[in-house]
Amino acid sequence: MSAGAGVTRRGFLRTAALGAVGLGAGVYFWRLRSATGAAPPSVSAGTVPVYGDWRDVYRERWAWDKVVRSSHWVNCWYQAHCAWNVYVKDGMVWREEQAADYPQVRPDVPDFNPRGCQKGACFSERMYDPARVRHPLKRVGSRGSGKWKRISWDQALDEIADSMIETIVEEGTDRIIYDLGPGISLGAQTAGQARLRTLLDSTSLDMNTEIGDGHRGAAETFGKIVFERSADDYFFSDLILCWGANPAYTQIPNAHFLTEARYKGAEFVCISPDYSASAMHADHFIAVKPGTDAALGLGVAHVLVEEDLVDRDFVREQTDLPMLVREDTLRFLRGSDLSAAGDEDELHVHDAARGILPAPRRSLALGGLALDLEGRFEVVLHDGKRAWVRPVFSLLREHLAGYSPEKASAVCGTPARQIRDLARRLARAKSASMVTTSNFAKYYHGNLIERAQALVFALTGNFGKKGSGFVGFPFLMHDGLEDFVLSMFGTPTRMLIETAGLLDEARLKLAGFTDEMIVYERSRRGFESGQEVSGALFWYVHGGLLEASDALQAWDPYLERPVREVLEESLAKGWQHVWPKPGNDPRVMISLVSNPLRRIRSYPLLLKNLWPKLRTIVTIDWRMTSSALQSDYVLPAAAWYERTEHKWVTPLMPFIHAGEKATSFQEAKSDWEIFARLARAVDARAALKGIEDFTDRSGRARSFKGLYAQFSSDGEFGPDDEEKVARTLIENASNLEGVEWEDLKKRGWARFTSVGKSLASIGNATKIAPDDTITPFTDHVFDKEPYPTLSRRIQFYLDQALYVEMGETLPAHKDPPTAGGNYPLQLTGGHTRWSIHSAWRDDKLMLQQQRGEPVMWVNPDDAASRGIHDGARVRVFNDLDSFEIMTKLAPGTRPGQVIVYHAWDNFQFPGGKGFQNLIPSPLNPVELAGGQFHLRPMGICLQPSHTDRDTRVEMELT
Amino acid sequence: MAPNKRQLAMVMDLNKCIGCQTCTIACKRLWTRDEGMEYMWWNSVNTQPGRGTPRDWEQMGGGFRDGHARPGRMPTRRDFGEAWEFNHEEVFFGGKGAKAHLKVQGEEPDWGPNWDEDQGAGEYPNAYYFYLPRICNHCTHPACLEACPRKAIVKRQEDGIVLVDEDRCRGYRFCMEACPYKKIYFNQAAKVAQKCIFCFPRIEQGVANACARQCPGRVRFLGYRDDHEAPIWKLVDQWKVALPLHPDYETEPNVFYVPPLAPPRYDEKGELDESQPRIPNEYLISLFGPVVLDALEVLKAEMAKTRGGGKSELMDLLIAYRWKEMFGGFDRDPATIEWTKA
Repeated sequence: MSAGAGVTRRGFLRTAALGAVGLGAGVYFWRLRSATGAAPPSVSAGTVPVYGDWRDVYRERWAWDKVVRSSHWVNCWYQAHCAWNVYVKDGMVWREEQAADYPQVRPDVPDFNPRGCQKGACFSERMYDPARVRHPLKRVGSRGSGKWKRISWDQALDEIADSMIETIVEEGTDRIIYDLGPGISLGAQTAGQARLRTLLDSTSLDMNTEIGDGHRGAAETFGKIVFERSADDYFFSDLILCWGANPAYTQIPNAHFLTEARYKGAEFVCISPDYSASAMHADHFIAVKPGTDAALGLGVAHVLVEEDLVDRDFVREQTDLPMLVREDTLRFLRGSDLSAAGDEDELHVHDAARGILPAPRRSLALGGLALDLEGRFEVVLHDGKRAWVRPVFSLLREHLAGYSPEKASAVCGTPARQIRDLARRLARAKSASMVTTSNFAKYYHGNLIERAQALVFALTGNFGKKGSGFVGFPFLMHDGLEDFVLSMFGTPTRMLIETAGLLDEARLKLAGFTDEMIVYERSRRGFESGQEVSGALFWYVHGGLLEASDALQAWDPYLERPVREVLEESLAKGWQHVWPKPGNDPRVMISLVSNPLRRIRSYPLLLKNLWPKLRTIVTIDWRMTSSALQSDYVLPAAAWYERTEHKWVTPLMPFIHAGEKATSFQEAKSDWEIFARLARAVDARAALKGIEDFTDRSGRARSFKGLYAQFSSDGEFGPDDEEKVARTLIENASNLEGVEWEDLKKRGWARFTSVGKSLASIGNATKIAPDDTITPFTDHVFDKEPYPTLSRRIQFYLDQALYVEMGETLPAHKDPPTAGGNYPLQLTGGHTRWSIHSAWRDDKLMLQQQRGEPVMWVNPDDAASRGIHDGARVRVFNDLDSFEIMTKLAPGTRPGQVIVYHAWDNFQFPGGKGFQNLIPSPLNPVELAGGQFHLRPMGICLQPSHTDRDTRVEMELT
Repeated sequence: MAPNKRQLAMVMDLNKCIGCQTCTIACKRLWTRDEGMEYMWWNSVNTQPGRGTPRDWEQMGGGFRDGHARPGRMPTRRDFGEAWEFNHEEVFFGGKGAKAHLKVQGEEPDWGPNWDEDQGAGEYPNAYYFYLPRICNHCTHPACLEACPRKAIVKRQEDGIVLVDEDRCRGYRFCMEACPYKKIYFNQAAKVAQKCIFCFPRIEQGVANACARQCPGRVRFLGYRDDHEAPIWKLVDQWKVALPLHPDYETEPNVFYVPPLAPPRYDEKGELDESQPRIPNEYLISLFGPVVLDALEVLKAEMAKTRGGGKSELMDLLIAYRWKEMFGGFDRDPATIEWTKA
């Protein structure tokens, strides 16, 4: 075989040579389209190669037919996005290469080129590999049997439509569930789903806290989680804390800004349990026990306060540290304490000259007030009783006495000297910043860790200044999607909606709400009415996930009552909400580029509890996944280079990215087209059955009749109009001023002109200038705009009942629960460099650069004591179950910790038992809080979350 | 053979390399996807210390010692690692349910091109490792060229790129024994030796190598060795912070490395211990020779300047404020080239 192939290849070479003189096919030579590039240094006119030898094989290999601008419309989050040129040859995508034509934003910071990663660089291989779904599939065996029948698109959509209609009519609209995954572009891809679910009043799950990205501590402290800098802003930092982050894995295209900022003079300090690929580039590596970072942070805060290194002007104006708390109730002193008709949300401060007075709410500016941070004051309450009150700072000072560096060190394992050094370094820094991480949101007590982190940045005044700041959830999107959804309603309806909206806005503004508070308020109403639904609670309640942590009281030493009881209380009091209501079983689930059985901790419970309730399970994806394998229908979605699209990014890379369809593939269709056809099928099938009316979840009558006309805006946006949808979204956006779609799709990127008005971006609270880096929170720090919290400030004190009950009024350390049972090893994770979620996990090239199968990282000492060698297969187990995996021994892994990086698919493990089967994801009761201004659930945060980093396991050789 | 007129060279800054392998994949997708090339990784990145690609290549000999050829061993397919095949069809569509799981088909592998990724050496918390990207060094004194009885290996006059003439090559593989860096592969289908071609078709068009142009870490500088206006000369000759790998092999590589720094280590009490570096000097000397210590001192001294708020020409150079300036004039956007079919 090989000898023959060799002969053939040489034969081809000759053909190529002949081709050059006029005979033939498949031969290329070059001419330059433009003269803008420099002249080729090594080739002059006289030495243009002649087709004559082996070298021309390579020259030809590099040639192409056409170049199309595109990107990977996947949630690679911090790394989103990169402009790619897709090189097409013979009608197939042949390879891709970064376009690398971003402008330099300012001369003293590096440009963004060439952005990209190894995963993007081989999508041309991935899109044609055997994981690809080529045509609609219908299950013919039992669920999960892998037995399929190829069916037509019409049959698939008609059958799914029938199931939806039956469910809506017989059981209710909320029984149809949309599970949205990392394919969500918030561009054309999402627009179809958004229109159809709105028209049919389906339940669309908000997954953000479920996936572990809820940043609860940030939400508790800032009233929001979206705030991040641009990656080039690190050039203004002189201290960068990489605290719990691993940008060498998770920010491949941004990482150069960090290594380069270090060359520019910034100190780069890595704080993590493991000596990671990021730590190798640090000036200091600070080792910490997993899950104890709050102790470390509070140790730092202790030093800052004890050594008087606190930026008092900053904390007086920007934080709640001057606000008064009652000693008797541990609650803020409220307007309702002082007067029977007083405002429950009015908090108080003490001014040396004026005594106790309401804290300013409409602006952070103190107008000359000299607020006390210390002291103890007596107040007369409206019922005549007296109470003592103290500023939060004074309580905090007392609280921090328990966190001397020595005491903190005993908990977190970091030597006391290093804790002191870190505090002094922070105090000394002109501008200290943090590398974004969503690691701590995946700890049971991660909120406490984030609150402690935020505290050290606030105590040192490190917000708003260029190159400074703790950061939350990076996000930046166009704000044109809502208009696109609303525009399908006729003018009268739309006018009604818009007028009501304007009136509401005016009323809230009068009440002192800022724009971002109004946006969040609307989202909160959506949660109350069921238009927005917490994914995390959905799986806990309807998936029965709480079964996995029934032993929680044995694992969590601080928990004094069953969390199920707290859940019932929370739902009864309306603190949190779940849809469908408990007892109303979900019936149809449509996963849109989503892989819940891979993603959800303790996923076997979903198969046990949720799957039997579902009459129809649909996966729409371009590839087969663990979830597709357990579905009834698998519909082939177009892959990224097969769509005309644009996608959200983050301030780290503040350019919207767009691209054009380069090719098509077998029967795959764009998500927009799939939803347009599904809408048409529902319309037609209902008509055929003679069903006209249905009732939505609020009891209003709706109609199937004219559904498709409405969906498509009377045919304006039909199945083939993906590009028109993409363009309309851009035209609707307020934060892409002057951006023309035709230019955008050709160029592939355009810089945002503002953060816009969407829920997922407005929190950045800053300006975007064309010629400057972006620092979050300038609106708060310099323009004195209040924060969207109860106190209207960065808030470290929480007096909601559950926080008082759990002893979490101030940031504190709590020992992690022994989730899964009392076993010696802590199983943690982290995002991998090798995949974006599971999208490349089974890719041949990526696996070739690993070990071809899942691995678990183990410290050599932990392995040796168990007789385990590098590459050995072990059985990992706890009280829940077990799984098998290969070990990888690495001295950088902390003893006692084992790491399985993100997103191995279940089908990559023997017996299909994915490693998430050992992760019970216990529900932390404080996450069920609500009822207070900023603790009420809203989009992407302040809902209960799922966690995994506290899992305890043991391992043994198989 | 007459010395080449000019020499193209590359500098890789190991303090910017994050081990993402975008270079590796860029090269793979462009050059080594045909039959017989599946197992080849002309560009590889390995975690150091480690056994590398091919496995234990530093123990395989080749190159020269004191001017004389040093015997070398030919790496085997096992040393490189096979190109694995998987059973996707069986798992997804085979009707076996959970009884089938995705795995490498055939013999269970015990090595691959990046098998020991992120393992390194040392003891927690003083573990240490760094990334070492490698391509063919396009040596000034190429052992492969001297070893080839067919004279099938040429060093181009105009730019010093070393190429295997695949028309002349008869697959004797003496070059694979002679190359001390073990960066030559054998194509079992075509029966010829193949290796990194320094992207000569791109270079001919003024476009930087795929590994360099696609590197998101902005690790790689490219250019002529003698261009005093470009970063290569400044880093190698002026600042002397870029060093060849294993100068002891005496082939005079034209790929140079800015050696790795590392955070300080801790003593048994957990206090900072700056009496010795985290990465042992002996290890770095074994890779780059004793001058590596001088290079590290220069780096540290220049970093100290910017830490104090000062300026450093060297730091500005390594930062590369304008990405295109890393490529010594080979900065054409490939998409500006239009090919026509004959």
